Amino acid sequence: MRSAAAAIAWEFRRKHRWGLIALGGYLLVLAAYRLLILGPGRTVDFEDAQSFAFAVVGPITASVLYLLAVFSFGLSGDLAARQSIYPARMFSLPVSNAALAGWPMLYGSVTMAILWFATRPLALWPSGFPIPVIWPALLAASLLAWTQALVWMPYALPGLRVIVTVLWLATIDAVVMLALHFKAGEPVMLALLAPHVPLAYLTARFAVGRARRGDVPDWRAILDRLGRVADVLPHRRERFPSPRSAQVWFEWRRHGRSLPALVGILLPFELALLFVARDTPAIVFGTMLLASITPPLMAVFVAATLGESNPQGSDSYGVTPFLATRPLTSVSLVAAKLEVTIWSTLAAWLLVLAAVPLALRLSGTAPMVIERARRLVEVMGTPRAVAIVLLVLSALMASTWKQLVQSLCIGLTGRGWLVKTSVFGTLSFLAIAVPLAQWIHGSKSLMGVLWNALPWIAAALVCFKVSAAAWIAFRLRDRRLLGDRTLLLGAACWDITVFALYGVLVWLTPGILFPSYVLALVAILEVPLVRLSAAPLSLAWNRHR
Amino acid sequence: MSEPLIEVSQLTRRFGARTALAAVSLSLPRGAVYGLVGANGAGKTTLIRHILGLLRAESGSVRVFGLDPVADPVGVLSRIGYLSEENDLPGWMRVDELVRYSRAFYPAWDDAYAEELRRSFALDPRARVKSLSKGQKARLGLLVALAYRPQLLVLDEPSSGLDPIVRRDILGAVLRTIAHEGRTVLFSSHLLEEVEEVADHVTMIDQGRIVLGAPLSTILESHRSLAEAFVALVGSPAAPARDG
Repeated sequence: MRSAAAAIAWEFRRKHRWGLIALGGYLLVLAAYRLLILGPGRTVDFEDAQSFAFAVVGPITASVLYLLAVFSFGLSGDLAARQSIYPARMFSLPVSNAALAGWPMLYGSVTMAILWFATRPLALWPSGFPIPVIWPALLAASLLAWTQALVWMPYALPGLRVIVTVLWLATIDAVVMLALHFKAGEPVMLALLAPHVPLAYLTARFAVGRARRGDVPDWRAILDRLGRVADVLPHRRERFPSPRSAQVWFEWRRHGRSLPALVGILLPFELALLFVARDTPAIVFGTMLLASITPPLMAVFVAATLGESNPQGSDSYGVTPFLATRPLTSVSLVAAKLEVTIWSTLAAWLLVLAAVPLALRLSGTAPMVIERARRLVEVMGTPRAVAIVLLVLSALMASTWKQLVQSLCIGLTGRGWLVKTSVFGTLSFLAIAVPLAQWIHGSKSLMGVLWNALPWIAAALVCFKVSAAAWIAFRLRDRRLLGDRTLLLGAACWDITVFALYGVLVWLTPGILFPSYVLALVAILEVPLVRLSAAPLSLAWNRHR
Repeated sequence: MSEPLIEVSQLTRRFGARTALAAVSLSLPRGAVYGLVGANGAGKTTLIRHILGLLRAESGSVRVFGLDPVADPVGVLSRIGYLSEENDLPGWMRVDELVRYSRAFYPAWDDAYAEELRRSFALDPRARVKSLSKGQKARLGLLVALAYRPQLLVLDEPSSGLDPIVRRDILGAVLRTIAHEGRTVLFSSHLLEEVEEVADHVTMIDQGRIVLGAPLSTILESHRSLAEAFVALVGSPAAPARDG
């Protein structure tokens, strides 16, 4: 390597070779499908928007996000920190600020443009879809350049980087959307987007220069002054009653507040729709649905961090010596996590249950919802209607908790390769499952076969689940992680939950639809057991390597 | 004779093709300062991690207080004070929160002693751990490792990269700990003069093998210094003794 430009390019290529190879592979698959299977010049007729999103929008968006992260150094830095995310080791290289800012920006912009110019002829666009020529490449390059400039900038407060970057990128998107709304042509779009890359480059050069000379503004003193007000308030100094309660506090402070915080941030935006379209029942009930699926949806994202022990370290999943040397059993450490997930779920739902009625009342949409509830009571009777509402609520809460805990057994292993394989496996499964489900949905004979085979499929899954649970129970016992008494107690609790769910399902489901043994199988499959009980084994495997 | 505090027998550990520990056997009786010395990568931290139960013995056995640290982490860890080289104290906690959190795990936690240490180390109770300097973090780690007067104090390269004043604090803590009857210190370092200053017994480790285990006085009978013994046995000095 004879130049800084080549060295920087080599680092990107070497560090992200597998991701870039995967991206190249995706484009090759597109090309093969397009040219060999579909035939040149032919287009695809998508039945619905979901299929189009799945086949085109999803992969391209994921690729763009990946490239944004790669070329902004976002995968290796702390986005929430005040300091620039630009790798500090590169500041000591004998190159100018212009080179430090310019080369990654050039490589990123060119890669983004290549992605678009490769995707445009290869992707499965629906027939009659007007595909623009150049401006999406320029938009992608602009978004990348601004992301780089803004994340490389040092900020006065922690977290400010994320807010500024998101707001600015959303503004650029909004301008583009507005232009598309007014049916702006290619020249107008190019004129709108052309100044962005040079402006972003100048900003990035300034940002790198500031970061390089350690010029990081600091407004924390203002916050500290505000913090001193909090010091006047009663400060908890009493002892924790037990090691368990100390560990629960620890987990709450690290992970417990994430879900309520995320839900709390999203809810006002969602519920604002009630004020905008208060006369449209579809939007009112859609908003209520959106608010009620927000906690389980956000739980999926929070769950990804729950298994992490060492977010700052290079081995982010490995349990830190500080945590590993707590004089607690691995079961107690997992129990503290599980307790916090329960509190976290309850806190998130408390927000939803307080905010939704308040928003309904303030927006004047409450009578519409009350009227619908009154009709439900008329049709089903008060006890059944109340029971159904409570059951739906309980199911949503249980689903939120389940989302939080079901991947713990993977994250707690501390093996990055296992976590990545699991994510890849899940995404691959989804990639296969969605078109498979659509294919099955389109074939009535296949639907019939599957419907008849449903009890057998459920029975096979139950056999697998029970066998896996038994194996895990033996392992827990052999490793002395759990005693016989605790195992029996756990099994009894699980049995009671399954029977309770079975009773509810029998009460709710018409007997003609499903035989009761199918409902029993569904109840067994629905109540978490295997992954939950594997969590202590995973942590022990991580803690005692 | 009383049961050894730490009993390591034929312990072998491999990481891929590399053998980190090769049939290591070690027996540490109570009530002395044991210096574990060796070059970087010699196997000191791997041995200590086995003693703490953070690594499972692939072959051989490890017993601490007569217990298997992997099978009974509570029984072992509740009697050990540990200060790691990594110093991975949670950055988001405040100093007083860390003290409050840590004391929940140790019934013998001595509030007065903890406060005395906090004052002598000049640690602001409201300061966040992440805002402390490296030396202050080491002092805080030492505070939480000492405040319950553990039966065994394990220090893994505690003064690595620290200034002489913090190193003096750490050595002072070692001496204070052994002043309490029956307490034991296992002190790993590549700073040989530091070990020579406090250790009663020295174990030298090189490429996963114990090359020497003897009382310091015996070593000094045949060599002018620990550094000289190290060069004679291992072949190169572990580190300049006064690198800070």
